[in-house]
Amino acid sequence: MILLAYILVGLTALAVIGLSTTHRRMNCVCIIHAFLYMVLTMYILLFQQVPVASFLIGSQYFFMDNFGLFEVLIASVIFTCAAVYAGGYVGSLLKSGELEKSSLKLFYASWSMLLFVLVLAFFCDNLALFWICAELTTILSAMLVAILSARENIDAAIKYIFIASASMLFSFVGLIFLFEASRRVLADGGTLNWTVLMQHAAALPPAMLVAAFALVFIGFAAKSGIFPFHTWLPDAHAKAPSAVSALLSAVLLNVGIYGIVRVYAIVHQTPAAATIAPVLGLFGFFTVAIAAFSMLPQKNLKKLIAFSSVENMGIILIGIAVSTPLALFWVLFHIMAHSLTKASLFFSAGILHRQYRSRLSTETVDEIRDVFRLQPLAAWGIIIGGLAITGMPLFPIFFSKLFILLSLGTVSLPAMFVLLVLLFVAGAALGYFVITAFSRVTAPGIPSDIEPYVTPLTMKLPLVFLICLIVFLGIVFTQGEISFLDRIVQELRF
Amino acid sequence: MIEPAIIQGVIKILLVCVIITAAYIISTRNLISLVSMYSLQSVTLACLALALYAHDQAPVLLAIAVITFLSKALIIPYFIATIQEKIRIKRDIEFHFLSPTSSLVLSMALMLVVYMALTRILPATPSRENFVFFGAVIGLSLMLMGMMVMLSRKRALTKVLGFLSMENGVLIFGMFVTELPFIIEFLIVIDLIILVLLTTILTVGIDSTLEDYHKRLHRFHLLQGEEERP
Repeated sequence: MILLAYILVGLTALAVIGLSTTHRRMNCVCIIHAFLYMVLTMYILLFQQVPVASFLIGSQYFFMDNFGLFEVLIASVIFTCAAVYAGGYVGSLLKSGELEKSSLKLFYASWSMLLFVLVLAFFCDNLALFWICAELTTILSAMLVAILSARENIDAAIKYIFIASASMLFSFVGLIFLFEASRRVLADGGTLNWTVLMQHAAALPPAMLVAAFALVFIGFAAKSGIFPFHTWLPDAHAKAPSAVSALLSAVLLNVGIYGIVRVYAIVHQTPAAATIAPVLGLFGFFTVAIAAFSMLPQKNLKKLIAFSSVENMGIILIGIAVSTPLALFWVLFHIMAHSLTKASLFFSAGILHRQYRSRLSTETVDEIRDVFRLQPLAAWGIIIGGLAITGMPLFPIFFSKLFILLSLGTVSLPAMFVLLVLLFVAGAALGYFVITAFSRVTAPGIPSDIEPYVTPLTMKLPLVFLICLIVFLGIVFTQGEISFLDRIVQELRF
Repeated sequence: MIEPAIIQGVIKILLVCVIITAAYIISTRNLISLVSMYSLQSVTLACLALALYAHDQAPVLLAIAVITFLSKALIIPYFIATIQEKIRIKRDIEFHFLSPTSSLVLSMALMLVVYMALTRILPATPSRENFVFFGAVIGLSLMLMGMMVMLSRKRALTKVLGFLSMENGVLIFGMFVTELPFIIEFLIVIDLIILVLLTTILTVGIDSTLEDYHKRLHRFHLLQGEEERP
């Protein structure tokens, strides 16, 4: 009955937010909510038999397996950090009048609800139910983007909703195909339960499966910002408040990838995988290429980081397309490493955004000056996070990128070199931006007109914590971590 | 008991009506008639579900008919019409990329493509009659036509209607191809209502004039907040 604990915590959090009046209390509830989820997930992982058999309302709608728990763990860690960060960040938004006090409750209610729905999504056994939860995450996160109620925010939110939900409708048609395919095979009517589909995957008719996967892929690709459905992503990520950008990039993109991996795991058991894998790889390449070349001329820091997310989703997709157990292992590791690193980058970008205020939010060129004097922590955060995201040694992404590249090399050597070049382009774009922006210094003697922004401790702490975590994950590989990821790979039957 | 042949005939006629409404939605410039046309399309959908119920006797279809009628023929059109009055926009004249005529031609081509694709994917089974296949083709075509509306119109409100008719297409497809469990169908409708509410409210911000939209939006934000809470 452990799922009920999650539901109970979620509903209580929502109720308390509904009742509370001060910003501090709502923020505290969000922190506690995410933290409790983290504790619960750790408890299940350490002390319970996984997969936890679950049982709600008649047929099995929910279940908990290692993959779901893995995603929930990432989500709850990021949400905890982001909620702490939001305390300072939203406070400063309130002070500058960018966020109105009356929308505060809506902001935190959507925040808490988003976490709740996300966790349910990762625990869905029924794919249609997962689809519904994924749709709800789109709606709730779009609200978080639009909360600033500036015209450009609403534009970005609407674009996000339209692209993501229209594509998700294709996904639903795909699920109907999947249901129909299972109805032809199973004796007792059709099902969309992932566990049952996995058991009978080999018997499913390949032609329908290809059609189903293609349609499902459209929706989840849009959700995770895969080319050609990535167009909403840079806008939404750049316009959202930075705490929300971190969630969008580090957690919500994972929902799409999670859906793709789940459905691909079914396809992987059948001959249809031979037709689908190359197509996935191709989409991955296009995604990385588009992202890398869009990063080059980019002058806006948050947009640059957003495109870097697109790039990483492309890498993950390529890893899935290789579909060896080794590749999948590192794909999972990459998902985790990317989430943590990207969240830390957005946290730093948020501090810089507060420092240089409106100048960063529009399309105009960033005017970052004297960054080491004004915001040394954020500057180092961007530098370390940038090194980590480009995959320098000692950081976790180095290993995942290396092994995904190596696995790709066993399939096709030219493809590996092309990817390597694209990764260099992306890394160069990031490096170029950081060097030009951070070396802009006002000459000594000339009085600077920029007021230093006093960063609250609540904005600094999560940033430092995440950076320490990244460095730790890059240096230490515990046996538990490896066997956990191994179990996920086995569950997905790769 | 009505003859199955008659019911099948009725279903086919209704499907043709659906396509006509879709064509109208693609080509009209008047926003008010757009909304009422969408409402009509939803009523046709409810009738379709009823006709299918008379044919198959599956109780899910009856539930779908009721839900569709209530949510899509009454609540959503009413809501959109209210919003429309608020933002005082009557016509959506601008078209991106496609003029109405060319989008009609394109949608005919799309139907042909869908037909050919489905003949290859859905294997022919003797038990399922040809009107089921017809329904599946119409459903997918309606969805693609809705997408064309989303692509070719400029106003966000028209885009919302395009999205809604896309969703109607998915519903038709689902009804004809397979039977999903009721709870799923129900949740999807709830989901879509929330989606439409949010999008329409945000649309107020985009489509209305800049001066007082902050205030307006704010009011709707609060209204939305009450509906969002479980």
